[in-house]
Amino acid sequence: MNGRPLDLARAAYLTVNGAIVFFLLMPIAIVLVFALNPTPYIAFPPVGVTLRWFVKFFSSPDFMSALWLSLRVAALVVVLSTTIGAMCALALARGNLPGARLLTTLFLSPLMLPAILTGLSLFQMLMLAGIGRPVWGLVVGHTLVAVPYVLRTTLAVLANFDRRIEEAAAVLGANPARVFFEVTLPLIRPGVIAGAIFAFIVSFDQLPISLFLVVPGGETLPVVLLNYIRFDLDGAIAAASMVSIVLALTAVVLLERIIGLRAYVRL
Amino acid sequence: MTAERTLSRRSFIKATGGASAIAAFGAPAVLRAQTATLKTTAWGGKWGEVMKATVIPAFEKEFRCKVETVSAFPYYPKLQATPKNAPLYDVLHSNTSEQWQAAVEGLVEPRIDAKNVPNIADVFPYAVSDKMVGVSMFTSAIGFGYRTDKGIVAPKSWKDLADAKFAGQRGSYIIPVNSLGQMHLMMLGKVYGKGLTDLDAAYKALEQLKPIKTFDFTGQMEKALLSGEVTIGVLHDSGIYRYDGQNQPIEFAAPQEGVLALEQVLAVTPGSKVKELAYAWVDFMLRPDIQKPLAEAVWYSPSNRKVKLDARYDAKLYNTEAKVAQLIQVDWRWYNERKDDIDARVARILRG
Repeated sequence: MNGRPLDLARAAYLTVNGAIVFFLLMPIAIVLVFALNPTPYIAFPPVGVTLRWFVKFFSSPDFMSALWLSLRVAALVVVLSTTIGAMCALALARGNLPGARLLTTLFLSPLMLPAILTGLSLFQMLMLAGIGRPVWGLVVGHTLVAVPYVLRTTLAVLANFDRRIEEAAAVLGANPARVFFEVTLPLIRPGVIAGAIFAFIVSFDQLPISLFLVVPGGETLPVVLLNYIRFDLDGAIAAASMVSIVLALTAVVLLERIIGLRAYVRL
Repeated sequence: MTAERTLSRRSFIKATGGASAIAAFGAPAVLRAQTATLKTTAWGGKWGEVMKATVIPAFEKEFRCKVETVSAFPYYPKLQATPKNAPLYDVLHSNTSEQWQAAVEGLVEPRIDAKNVPNIADVFPYAVSDKMVGVSMFTSAIGFGYRTDKGIVAPKSWKDLADAKFAGQRGSYIIPVNSLGQMHLMMLGKVYGKGLTDLDAAYKALEQLKPIKTFDFTGQMEKALLSGEVTIGVLHDSGIYRYDGQNQPIEFAAPQEGVLALEQVLAVTPGSKVKELAYAWVDFMLRPDIQKPLAEAVWYSPSNRKVKLDARYDAKLYNTEAKVAQLIQVDWRWYNERKDDIDARVARILRG
């Protein structure tokens, strides 16, 4: 008698969670079905299994150059945004800066603006300055919207940081650089890494800013995909989506395996 | 099996080699001497493939220049955001609606002088009509795409879309973002009212089309037809003919009231630093030897009346005086001036 309400509550809990997981994963399942279905349109049930869309994707010079460019830009953005975001977070949390809250809001402001406006503004700035559209302009644009993610996640870790550990290291004779690299950095690493993962995904999937800043003849994967679906909405799009999903998952799993993210998250 | 004609770089250059040599010989010496860069917008898909594989290399070789293409939309806001004396593009390739937006703001030259682009003398009148900016190099015909396996008789009139049996099975476009949807709205004004600008009649007719499935892009409409999600939809002929020979149960129908022209337009920017090269590009794109392979690759109707298409394409595309007489061109300048009001009204109709 006593266990019944609990069982019902647990069943309700599992049902709600199951529904949420289903809602989150269903689009991916549909994309996978579309990517493997031989028909050049979404059909359910699928009429067979084929890898022709993956072959089309991987054999297309346009898709491949776009994928390669997106990966290179995302890698640069991860390095830049992680460095800038982590340093900003440290300065804001530790620097006793006047107007630190205002500065934090300022650094987070790219998230509050529609990305398309950020893209248009950067584009106008580059044009008016006579710079044109170099690849580094694209990297700067992506970095601008990626930095707030690193900043936010690093600030979250710093909020619970016990500074006495650093003080102990200093008392034991470590210089400031050694304290930073051997004490501070390892402890804030979960926030920095989480921010880096966000930065990679934000850059790799970035469309509104890329639309304005892509280089002629050098377009990122989301831009190429958008242009493609205007004329050819076939399974190659789904194959490209699956590749993107797999790449994002691979990045997360690799970081978890190499750096042991899970252990840090438990902290 | 594919209906689209495959075209290798080698065969293309071979086919166009003679004409290219003649044109190059006749081209101004300044063009042959320079190594300037021409910046132009470009479509993706099969069009983009053919352009990159054959047309652009042929132009670069002939004029000893580099062509930079950009296919990242939106073109017009980018052109707006660029100084007029240093435009982002030398040649704007887009549909007529966007060209008019740019022309009104002085971002592209509204007319092209035949002295600068000699091949304009050979285009059909619609390509340089008063409804146009620059010159149309190709056009598609907008009518209906429909399923042939659902017992449907080929639609004959634009009014057939309102047939009750197509409720929930008919398709058009999200009018604020798609020019085919905008043209369809104007056509409703023509067939149900006093003309293409009779918006009251158009709104009433649109109300009668509910429930209707609306799409962002023509590519989505094509797939909706192929999958059977819709049985009839507003579509350009090339969106159907590209599946020719693939045994798909879809066909194109040209309504008796006429088909709408979806032009592929080229216009030169006034501030271009390589204007001669820009005109040369427009002239090149109008050349019969360039128009033919492009038209046959993507099923666009060439605007140069001297183009001789293979029988398969000749039978279907709009390439004679009698056929192009069926094309209806809309007044985009008029539409663009009212676009915000139209968008708001249409949103209310389709939401309600």
